[in-house]
Amino acid sequence: MSGNDIRAAFFIAYKTIAKGHKSTLVLIIFILSLSFFNLMFVSGFLSGFSDGIIRSMVETSTAHLAVMPQEEPIKKEYIIDQASVRAGIETIPGIVATAAHYQLGGSFAYDKERDGVFTYVSAPIIAVNQVEEKAVLSVFDHIVSGDFPDTLQKDEIILGANLAGGFGTEQTTDLGGVVVGDTVVVVYGNGVSRTYTVRGIFKVTIGGIGGTAFISTKEAEAILSTYNNASEIMIKADLAKYTLDEYAERIRYLYPELTVEKYTTRLSTVGILVSAFNIIALIVSVISIIVAAITIFVMIYVNTISKRRQIGILKAIGIKESIIELSYVVQSMFYAICAVISGTMIIFWVVVPFLDARPIMMPYGEATLVFTTVGIVINIVSLLVSGLLAGFIPAKMVARENILTSIWG
Amino acid sequence: MISVKNLVKTYPGEVPTYALKGVSLEVTAGEFVALMGRSGSGKSTFLHQLGLLDTPTEGEVIIDSINVLALSEAERTRFRLEHLGYVFQEYALIAELTALENVYFPAMAIGDSDAKNRAAHLLDLVGLGSRLDHQPHEMSGGEQQRVAIARSLINNPKVLFADEPTANLDTESSATVFKLFQKLNRDLNQTILVVTHEPEDKQYVDRVVWMRDGIIQV
Repeated sequence: MSGNDIRAAFFIAYKTIAKGHKSTLVLIIFILSLSFFNLMFVSGFLSGFSDGIIRSMVETSTAHLAVMPQEEPIKKEYIIDQASVRAGIETIPGIVATAAHYQLGGSFAYDKERDGVFTYVSAPIIAVNQVEEKAVLSVFDHIVSGDFPDTLQKDEIILGANLAGGFGTEQTTDLGGVVVGDTVVVVYGNGVSRTYTVRGIFKVTIGGIGGTAFISTKEAEAILSTYNNASEIMIKADLAKYTLDEYAERIRYLYPELTVEKYTTRLSTVGILVSAFNIIALIVSVISIIVAAITIFVMIYVNTISKRRQIGILKAIGIKESIIELSYVVQSMFYAICAVISGTMIIFWVVVPFLDARPIMMPYGEATLVFTTVGIVINIVSLLVSGLLAGFIPAKMVARENILTSIWG
Repeated sequence: MISVKNLVKTYPGEVPTYALKGVSLEVTAGEFVALMGRSGSGKSTFLHQLGLLDTPTEGEVIIDSINVLALSEAERTRFRLEHLGYVFQEYALIAELTALENVYFPAMAIGDSDAKNRAAHLLDLVGLGSRLDHQPHEMSGGEQQRVAIARSLINNPKVLFADEPTANLDTESSATVFKLFQKLNRDLNQTILVVTHEPEDKQYVDRVVWMRDGIIQV
């Protein structure tokens, strides 16, 4: 194809767009924009859903990484001298903060009516140093009653709403409606019994953290008769700097005897749910791409077929098929590019600000649209390829027709 | 200039239609020939074959010493662009282009850098020098047909074919178009083959060829 051919193709494409029916042009671009918007919104919303659930889990429960006690050759109960282990981990570039946990289990007893009738529930208990904990996990952000002070007293406890009951999260195994200031009795696995005043109640609906309780590290060490150890060390890392695998590798290098787990392996049932959801999201996204592609194809196909007389005339006066085909591809690409631009504007100038102003609440928090560069590129390429084929195929078909048939039908 | 031998065009079907039944014709360079005959006589079909808009079933067509039926599809397209001019009954202008653009576009496609000036000159020649920037829907039928004639001349064709170019025009516009053909023929020595069914058009042409039932009447 020569320069003259390309110039002629662009000329006829430009004139057809500029001098054609404006209403048809606007309608085509509007419909294509909606198709592209639908494509972007569906994939963005579904990505946001998975992302929100995982983010909620990472922020309230799993952190980015967790270090556990030695498993081999002898299984140990605690990480010994957690302070020095944490200090060592925090020397790794990109590690933002660490927090030590003791994990305990206990049986809760609560006498709601103070009439000697107790409700009993078994639940996990996590002991934390709240100052450290706040730098890694954000349970304190989800307090719905009372507070989660930096200095939790030994006789104070924080309950998850699923354990306390009465916060719209009724479980078959909750305490039936504990309120801040009430007292609960906890009998630990080693037989120690303590009475706590409920200092705060938090509500996290994603994952199992909502069914747990928090006590102070000092209280746990008193119960367990230990000091400066940890059942696990939670780690927050800067994932923009290194990958999870790289952080895990560096921690293993420093502490080969300890077990390192990434959050991706600690998501448990939520992880399975997210994986299943991601598959569904992928299927829905692919269907959206196909629907958008078909819509674009049909719109441009009908528009091109309606120009068969023009194509016939161009052939009759000796214009090469390749010029005609390129001209229609250029027109289609113009429609598609306009649709990408206007669809993107609708997303980022209308929908995103709208969701910011009127957020849709999801179990994990506010619904957000999450767009990855790869996802956006796939959507744009899908639309452009559909537009290209939608311009080329009918133009090719009509250009191959008998000239007289094209002109007179 | 044009040599046609035993041209046959059959449209297949349960009952095949024999549109051309072995037509032979010689047209010399600079000749202005009218093809006349009743509706259905095959004159438009014959012109379509000569203008390379359709492919005959058999026969031979030589234009300017070139056996055009032996050309590939791409070569035929190129031949149409560079050597033939064709005027349709229904103007067949590109609706989105102005008169000037309609005329210079075929020249632009072969890289003629002077296309615009020559197009303007041709439109002036056909009496539309003041209508260069008008689009087809802003012009009368007669004006549109004259734009189509100017377009057919832009690449200095060896032969100009016109298929009932005045069928949709009033008497006055028809006379204008035929006088224009006559002028082109006389001034530019343009070879012209025109299909018409109006007896009064005979006055403008050098020779009339009569067709009936797919053959030329001697």
